[in-house]
Amino acid sequence: MLKLIQNEWMKLWHKNGTWMMLIFLVLFIIVPGGMMKYQETKNAENTTWQEVVQQQMNFYKDILASEELSEADIKSFEEKIAIFEYRLANNVPIQLETTVEDFMSFASNWIMLVTLFTVILAASIVSSEFSTGTIKMLLTRPISRAKVLTSKLITVFLFGVLLLIVNIGVSALTGFVLFDATTNAELEMVDGKIVEKAVWGDLAYSYLLACGDFVMSTLFAFFIGSVFRSSSLAIGLTMFLSFMGQMIVSLLSKYEIVKYIWITHSNLKQYETGNLLVEGITMPFSLTVLAIYAVIFTVISYMSFMKRDVTA
Amino acid sequence: MNIQPIVQLQNLSKTIRGKQLIQQLNLDLYPGQITGFLGPNGAGKTTTIRMMTGLMYPTEGKVIIDGQSLKEHYEEAISKVGVIVENPEMYKYLSGYKNLLHFARMHKNVPKERIDEVVQQVGLEKRIHEKVSTYSLGMRQRLGLAQALLHRPKFLILDEPTNGLDPAGIREFRMYLRKIADEEGVSVFVSSHMLSEIELMCDRVAVIQNGQLIDIRDIHNETTSLYYIEATPSEDVATHLQNLDYSFTVENNGVVVEVNKENIPALISQLVQDNIQLFAVQPHQKTLEDQFLEMTGGGQIAEANSK
Repeated sequence: MLKLIQNEWMKLWHKNGTWMMLIFLVLFIIVPGGMMKYQETKNAENTTWQEVVQQQMNFYKDILASEELSEADIKSFEEKIAIFEYRLANNVPIQLETTVEDFMSFASNWIMLVTLFTVILAASIVSSEFSTGTIKMLLTRPISRAKVLTSKLITVFLFGVLLLIVNIGVSALTGFVLFDATTNAELEMVDGKIVEKAVWGDLAYSYLLACGDFVMSTLFAFFIGSVFRSSSLAIGLTMFLSFMGQMIVSLLSKYEIVKYIWITHSNLKQYETGNLLVEGITMPFSLTVLAIYAVIFTVISYMSFMKRDVTA
Repeated sequence: MNIQPIVQLQNLSKTIRGKQLIQQLNLDLYPGQITGFLGPNGAGKTTTIRMMTGLMYPTEGKVIIDGQSLKEHYEEAISKVGVIVENPEMYKYLSGYKNLLHFARMHKNVPKERIDEVVQQVGLEKRIHEKVSTYSLGMRQRLGLAQALLHRPKFLILDEPTNGLDPAGIREFRMYLRKIADEEGVSVFVSSHMLSEIELMCDRVAVIQNGQLIDIRDIHNETTSLYYIEATPSEDVATHLQNLDYSFTVENNGVVVEVNKENIPALISQLVQDNIQLFAVQPHQKTLEDQFLEMTGGGQIAEANSK
């Protein structure tokens, strides 16, 4: 099995596209980092933090007074104002410049890109063997089809994890080179009390939650790619579902069934923000639904790959 | 033949969407023999070969390789087979060497030295570290042969192997197959459209039409010997031959007579005595092409589609 993965890994890195993905991922972190730094040095102002806090507080108060807002928005603005008042009263300064943590939490958005690139590989790793005809060479070896497919699936996830490590590593590195670590407390309101925010913990948690979408998209693309042997269909469909997923869920929201499709659950970040796509779902329930679909996608991929007559 | 067959096809049948592509195919292949596989387009050659390599599953019947059923003991059975199905499709973005390394890793016991050895055998040493995308079709064919030989298979299946090779390459290829068949006892199964190639290369041909095996025959030892005689006046020739009780057919400017070699001098002196003008007497070999067309009844493409 190790040799098979070694084979897949070798093929992967001999394709130009793979290196392009890696370069893109790195550039998408470094370039915005540089731009942020440049903007900051250019616009450096001599204002005290108290002035900034006062300004922002007034801004929020104006909005609260002038516009019609939803209850959730009103609550969040009021919380913000409460935190600002707390800062002024207790002399807790606000961070005026971008910090390493800020930058890394910005870069954590590029897990989207990690997912996209992994989906591209997952979609094409089986179908490309069919379209180039190399599948005939691959399957006339003393290796069962199940093992061949397993090696490919493992390779896809290895690649995904590698991209994730690159994403975190490069953003940490860029962050520490360009920005300073935070010295002032980040505050948030929990159950009506103002507490210090666990910045690093939150960042790790948001990465963890993003893995839900990452794993489901990858498995879905792998499933479509190996069943229909079309990488473009697999990439297209996966992207469509991740962009339009929310809309589909809201269209179906009247029906009970919406709770049992995976796109309702794959965005686990809904538990972080609290804006649930559907009422009445919980984290354990979501994880169960996702696990069931993950198994379904994988089993169908294997069945179709093992039973198929190869005519490519 | 007393030797155990290395490959046995037993009642092999394949039906796709109600169309019977292969019907009850029975065929034994023996070590050291090169068997040609002939048939018009769409007769089921590729389908049969795909079933023999495990790429397609038979609807009925089985493929037995060296005593083991391909279906039940897939890994062991297939490890004895070397395959080129249609064009050898290699990974174009890898070098020839890395392609071989890739396939070598999928077999047990193929050390790096074996790769070098095979590369040398197919004559690719100079270009083996270049990307396959820069190779000509002939070079790809050679690389395809190299990957099929890596694990020293007992049975070699080749689909259209000489496609894209130059005449020297074809000759070399033919000699090479002959060599591994004779020296290592490898059984070779070659499908080809090039009848003259098959004729030069094979000991035996199996002919398939409309999914059925219609003939298996040995090449090179025709039971009846035929001679072509060109002589005038042709009417007299015909009457003479009739009188002498030879069976014959008229062909071009002469006749093809069924006659044993011993009787040739007698026949010639007979004809000369009777003032018939003799231009040529030569052994007449029916080409495989003639035989093939005779057996399959012309050029129409078989009803069933191979895909």
